[in-house]
Amino acid sequence: MTLLYRVLYCSRNLMSGDADAVQCEIRSILSKSRANNERDGLTGGLLFSEGCFAQVLEGPIEAVERAFERIQCDDRHEEVTVLQSGPVEARDFPNWSMAFTGRDQFADPLDAAALKQAFGSRSPNGDAVLGILRGVVVREEDWLAPVA
Amino acid sequence: MSNVRSMPVSPVPRSTRKNPPGGADHFRHALDAVQVGVLTFNRSLGVLFANKRFAAMLDMDIQPNPGVTTLTDVLDACAVFKGASAQQVLEICLASIAADEGGTGMLPMMVETGERTYAVQASRIADDYWMASFDETTERRVAAASAVQLATLDTLTGLPTRQHFQDRIRHIMVLAAKDEPEPALVMLVDLDRFKTVNDTLGHPIGDALLRLVAKRFGFIFRQNDMVARLGGDEFGILVTPAPDQETAAKLARRIVDVLGRPYLIDGHLINIGASVGLASAGRDGLNYDQLLRSADLALYASKNAGRNTFSFFDIGMDQRAVARRNLEIDLRRALALRQFELHYQPQIDLDRDTLVGFEALIRWNHPERGLVSPLDFLPLAEEIGLIVALGDWVLREACQQAARWPEEVAVAVNVSPRQFDDAGRLVGSIAKALTASGLPGGRLEIEITEGVLLRNDADVLTALHQIRALGVRVAMDDFGTGYSSLSQLHSFPFDKIKIDRSFMTDRGDVDGQNAIIRAITALGVSLGMATIAEGVETSEQLARIRTEGCTSVQGYLFSKPVPVSQIDQVMLDLAARRFALPLS
Repeated sequence: MTLLYRVLYCSRNLMSGDADAVQCEIRSILSKSRANNERDGLTGGLLFSEGCFAQVLEGPIEAVERAFERIQCDDRHEEVTVLQSGPVEARDFPNWSMAFTGRDQFADPLDAAALKQAFGSRSPNGDAVLGILRGVVVREEDWLAPVA
Repeated sequence: MSNVRSMPVSPVPRSTRKNPPGGADHFRHALDAVQVGVLTFNRSLGVLFANKRFAAMLDMDIQPNPGVTTLTDVLDACAVFKGASAQQVLEICLASIAADEGGTGMLPMMVETGERTYAVQASRIADDYWMASFDETTERRVAAASAVQLATLDTLTGLPTRQHFQDRIRHIMVLAAKDEPEPALVMLVDLDRFKTVNDTLGHPIGDALLRLVAKRFGFIFRQNDMVARLGGDEFGILVTPAPDQETAAKLARRIVDVLGRPYLIDGHLINIGASVGLASAGRDGLNYDQLLRSADLALYASKNAGRNTFSFFDIGMDQRAVARRNLEIDLRRALALRQFELHYQPQIDLDRDTLVGFEALIRWNHPERGLVSPLDFLPLAEEIGLIVALGDWVLREACQQAARWPEEVAVAVNVSPRQFDDAGRLVGSIAKALTASGLPGGRLEIEITEGVLLRNDADVLTALHQIRALGVRVAMDDFGTGYSSLSQLHSFPFDKIKIDRSFMTDRGDVDGQNAIIRAITALGVSLGMATIAEGVETSEQLARIRTEGCTSVQGYLFSKPVPVSQIDQVMLDLAARRFALPLS
């Protein structure tokens, strides 16, 4: 069995424009990433909040590295900080080619506060962000529904 | 290069030249027989050897005297090289010295003298020996060589090579219309901490990293812009036509951002940075060499500004670089020309009010610059490594002097952290200085700064103990500034702590300064180390440090640092003021 590898990073959003435009852009990011990930055997989650991204990528090491490098070259974000990277025993998002949460309000206000802190501080806590991602990742189909 | 004209060089008629006597000289004969001019030199630009072909091809009218003749003397004596071409050769040689850490071989550079073109290549051949080769080429060969290089891309990254980059810029600059003041923008990019990646993770990972860097450039620049790998971890970008300042800054900022983002290679998370220097064709350079030099100076400024940033070239950088370069050239020759001298400042023991020693302080007496402050030349000497030879000279000279003083008087010599790079060598230099002068080890004290110990290097500690074994005392200089950590005082049994002069200012919080002095002297007492205060100028200050318990003192109150000729007078003056030698 190939070695499973996981990387978790956060970065600052550079996409500008109104909410609809940003939603549209996110939708395109997600669909592309889901297609790529399915092809490459990757799973993970993407969180978009407070003008920041946090993303988990997990899968075979070569595929993770290729996807990670692709993401690094994207000019829609900056200040990429890797919170966690290394081999793992099992996937945290086995059923999601790229789960997504994009609401600014979370069901659990504590999580929202923790997330804010994690993004705000210069030394964000990787486990905390991963925990939040695990906890809140659901398909936000409403949010992503095509703009009428 | 007019400043080297005064060098004493003895013209030797060609007919009287002979190979030096001695049997094992067949290498020399062989070198004399080859059709390439060969010149060897050392780090200080002293010329060791020039083969016959060199002398004949370049019309040299002196015989280099190893250890005395410098590269500038030789170039001055070569009728073929004048002005710019001599400067170019000197730069090629200096570049090879500067590059010796990089390990990448230098490509031959074309040096044009008007009549002919020479391919000049310099590289390190042994520890402190460099060789420059001079090959006379015809125009056709130059063209053929560049055509070959033009066609080749860098095999690692697939980017154009330096040669390609250079030709394209030359082309643009020649073709640029007169009404187009800034036809192109050049950016030089250097990766920060790349060497560490290579050293710690190995070259395959370093190579993979360079490939990813090259790819990332592709996301920043348009197809039109040229991104070239200039060598090692240096990249050059040519943007045509030059964008406005704001756009240029945006591009540079993006390089710093995107190249500085993390890399994931073979499971290793790698963080490097990028420094960028920008220069505009036309405004910052009228030809390729000038333009690249300007961009390089801007890159240097970015590195000096703490890396991970970008700088535009400005004319001040050029002036500073020229000034620094001239200073460097002068400094490299100063030792041979005996322009350094030592001044000595007395140190007084406060228990017995007696003269116990002198601190040796270096002075540079330059024929045109006058007295150059150590603050202006010591950092440069450290940077270019000249401090090692200079430090050896100071040790020899100070020990020679001290050997002539009364037996009770010691000499204190400052030793730079760079001299500890080869700690074993330093121990040897100290031992030699003692033996040659006959000065007992107990009358020599070396002063080191905490930077030496910050490296946490076992070799340094071993050397310090070996120095102590010679009977030499070791003092910690400038204590109270910097880190001044107790653990450093603990890591080696220093004989003495020298309290930094900044606590002697009489300005600001004098009570606070007194408290620090008291704390340091108390520390000295509990660790069994003497304490000396420097910079003492007034009797009030003397009273202060007496009260706080310092064991000795030096400063203008007793005497400024004086040349050797005035030492006897200083001793007499001190005696008249009750600070006598213990036995006199």
